Parts: sequence; C-alpha cells; structure tokens
Amino acid sequence: MTNYYSDVYINDYYSLLSSSKFNPIILDNVDEFINDYYMGEKTIEEAEVRYQELTIKKLIQKNKKKNISLLISGDLQNQILSSTLSASIFKIPYLGIYSACATFCEGLILASNLTNKKSNIIVTTSSHNLVSEKQFRFPVEYGALRKRVNTCTASGSVSALISCKKSKIKIESSTIGFVTKTNHKDTNDMGSAMAPSCAEVIKLHLKNTKRDPSYYDLILTGDLGIYGTEIMKKYYNKITNQELKNVIDSGSIFYQEENIYAGASGPACLPLILFNYILKQKNYKKILIVATGSLHSVLSSNLKLPIPSVSHAVSLEVDNEIN
Amino acid sequence: MLFLYKTLKKENNNNMNNIEYDEIIKENIGKDNIFKNVFIAFFTGGLMGLFAQLLTDFFVNYYKININDAYFYTFCFFIIVGSILTGAGVFDKVLSICKCGLIVPSTGFANTMTSSAMDNKSEGFVKGIGANIFKLTGSIILYGVVFGIIFGFIRSII
Repeated sequence: MTNYYSDVYINDYYSLLSSSKFNPIILDNVDEFINDYYMGEKTIEEAEVRYQELTIKKLIQKNKKKNISLLISGDLQNQILSSTLSASIFKIPYLGIYSACATFCEGLILASNLTNKKSNIIVTTSSHNLVSEKQFRFPVEYGALRKRVNTCTASGSVSALISCKKSKIKIESSTIGFVTKTNHKDTNDMGSAMAPSCAEVIKLHLKNTKRDPSYYDLILTGDLGIYGTEIMKKYYNKITNQELKNVIDSGSIFYQEENIYAGASGPACLPLILFNYILKQKNYKKILIVATGSLHSVLSSNLKLPIPSVSHAVSLEVDNEIN
Repeated sequence: MLFLYKTLKKENNNNMNNIEYDEIIKENIGKDNIFKNVFIAFFTGGLMGLFAQLLTDFFVNYYKININDAYFYTFCFFIIVGSILTGAGVFDKVLSICKCGLIVPSTGFANTMTSSAMDNKSEGFVKGIGANIFKLTGSIILYGVVFGIIFGFIRSII
C-alpha cells in the first residue's frame, strides 16, 4: 500500500547516543551523547525509559510546542515497556507500536497519515544494547562466542516532530510492506532473514509509484548488516532483473572501529544515521528509507520456527535551502 | 480445484523459492573458520588442564593433603576465580580471545551461573536470581546426571 502526502514535514528531531562502543560514525554530530548504560537508574530497563524521556522532553523544549497531539513510540523490550513508561511521564495521547527495527518507519507512516493542519505528532524510538542482549541473546556478562553474522545493537533514542508546517525534510510518500518468511531460522543472522522483505518492499514501492531505482539519490536501508546488504541486492536482482546501486545500509556504516560484528542493529540505528550522518552531508535530495524488522521472539526461535520479517519504506525529499 | 492448484503453483514460480534463497545466503556468508577456533580452544583448554594439574600438585606437596581433597580444592579454586572474573566484567573479554578453552572447564560453568544471576538481580531474590540462576546451567546439570548414570551402568557391566 502506497500513500502520497502533499504537506507532511519532519520539522525537527532530537537524537541521543548512549555508547561510544566501536567509535560510532555519528559520535561528533549527535545532539546529545551520554556514555552511560544506566543513566542514574538501578536497572537497564529503566535507563531506556530515561533515554526516551530525554529525547521527547528536549524536542518539546527546543520547539517550544505545548500542544503535542499524539506520541507514537516503540522499542524492543517485552510489551514495549520503555515506550509505555516514558509516555506515562507526558500527558500526551499515545500509540505504542512494535515492528522491531522497522518501528521508526512504521511510526513515520502512521504519523503522516494521522497528521492534519493543527496537529503536531512526535515519533520516538529507542534501543539499548544490554536490554536486547538480555532479552534476545544471552546474559550480558556470559560472553557467548559470536558468529560473523551477529549484529551489535546500537544504544540510543531518537524523537522526530511531524506536522504540516513547512520545513526542509518533506515526507513525500510511503509504502507499507508485507511480512515475508523463508526457511531461514538462525536468529544470529537476522540480515538474511530481513533481506527478502527489504527487497520486496523496495520493489513494491517502485512499482506502485512507477519509478526507477535511479530516481532516488539514496536508498538507506535499516540494519541488514554487511552480509545482509549483499544478499538483499542479489535477491532484488533475481526478482526484478534490475540492479540496486545507490544503497547504503545504516547498520554496516555505523561502527568505524574494526570489530567482530557484521554491523549495528536496533530501531534507533536507522534514524540515528539518517539524521546525524546522511542529512548532515547535504548532497542527497531524494532519499528512500527502508527500515527492516525481524519479528522473531525468544519463544519462536526455541520452537525453531522460521523468522518472519517486515519492512516499511518512506520517501523523503530534502530541500536544504529552507530553514 | 485444479485451477486453484495451477494458480497457486504459478504464484510460487514467480516468487523465489526457499532453496534458491538458501543458496544466495550460502554464497554470501560462507562458513566460519572452525579449525582456527578449535585449535585455539584445544591450546587454551590444554593450558588450563596443565595449570589445574600444577595446582593440584602444589596442594598435595605443599599443604600435605590427600589427592582427592586436592582435586576438590582445585575445582573450588576454578569456580571462585571464574565467578569473580565474571563479576568484574573481565571473563567475557578473556573468553573472546581464548574461545571454548575456558567454557568447557568448570570456569565456564561458574561464568554461566554468575552471569545469569547478575542479569536477573534486579528482579528480586526469588523471582530473579532464584528462578533464573539455573536458566542456562540447568541443562548441563540435568544431562550431566543422566549421562553419568548411563555411563556408570555401562562401566559396571564392563
């Protein structure tokens, strides 16, 4: 399903990075950098609540907005705990969403469809390295040996303000993807699980909008990782006989320091790279962001079920001359 | 019915089938170098064994205790050191260098239990630590006992 929007804009954003592990590429550009997994709290779960609270609060303060009409947020914790807890601090109508690492794009699509002349909507997402290690993998200090295909969850949070007020980032159109499932069962390798859904949603978006891949200056994918990106390109080539050249994967470029992982992952990975690296470069006009989410749970991987995955695409038009 | 079957089959042909996709994954990812990891684990595990033997000899010769007690003390030493290193956050860093050479001995057992306990500490003593401390080690204990019984039987027969 593809929707077109005539006057929806991302007015502002506020991003928080909370770990300097492996020297992230956005370290100097990010709005706020706090190298702390606990934020003065006793548990890591509460720390993630503080991440979201901080970005939402700072975003509201920065824009001096009093009447926020809706807050859409999501994260990786069970029953999106940190989103609901951080939403309970503000008295803003709230929608909680979950599609793993595709949460930010899902939020943008929802916000774009719900916005009208008077409303200001905040879309928030966050991820915490230790929380997702504890929840999806092994205990934090266990030190399980990693495969090359493993990704390392990025820690941080991003809030974006969406309204009809004109600004330099315009949301032009969006495509909601469908859930794909292959035989792939290895939860260490989420890139391979998400690659088909990513390729399918790009194909669907380009088909519905009758565009060519070269229409976009950049296709920014979510967190496929180094191997997942190559697999996605090959898959796309097989289903359409076209080649994707202008693809950057935000997970692959996230860490600068050499490490054992195939890149970064997590819902915060794509927006952190988009706002603090891609948009700061100012040489991309038309960007298609495709957030990819692997929708498995601990139970589903123990039951040895194939990993379902979903991706959503949002087309952005950037005009750097408008302030 | 036949029509439905044909349309379904046609749809499947248009999409990529799972076997083809598995091939793409294999092409791109390849396999991890097992031999290197196995060699490192063999070497570090061997070093651990040597160290344990030296420690046992030290207990026997220096403190003049009998050999069975010395084995027990060595075992305790490894568990205590493994737990303390895990608590200090060092064990996982050492493990990434030494590979499975540290998991297979009792240090690995101590590390697994301590890390599970640390992870769930915030959920309280009963529902957190108590319920989760054997989350990963439970299977080691269970199958250790089961196979101990089986091999004990076999040995008594032979």
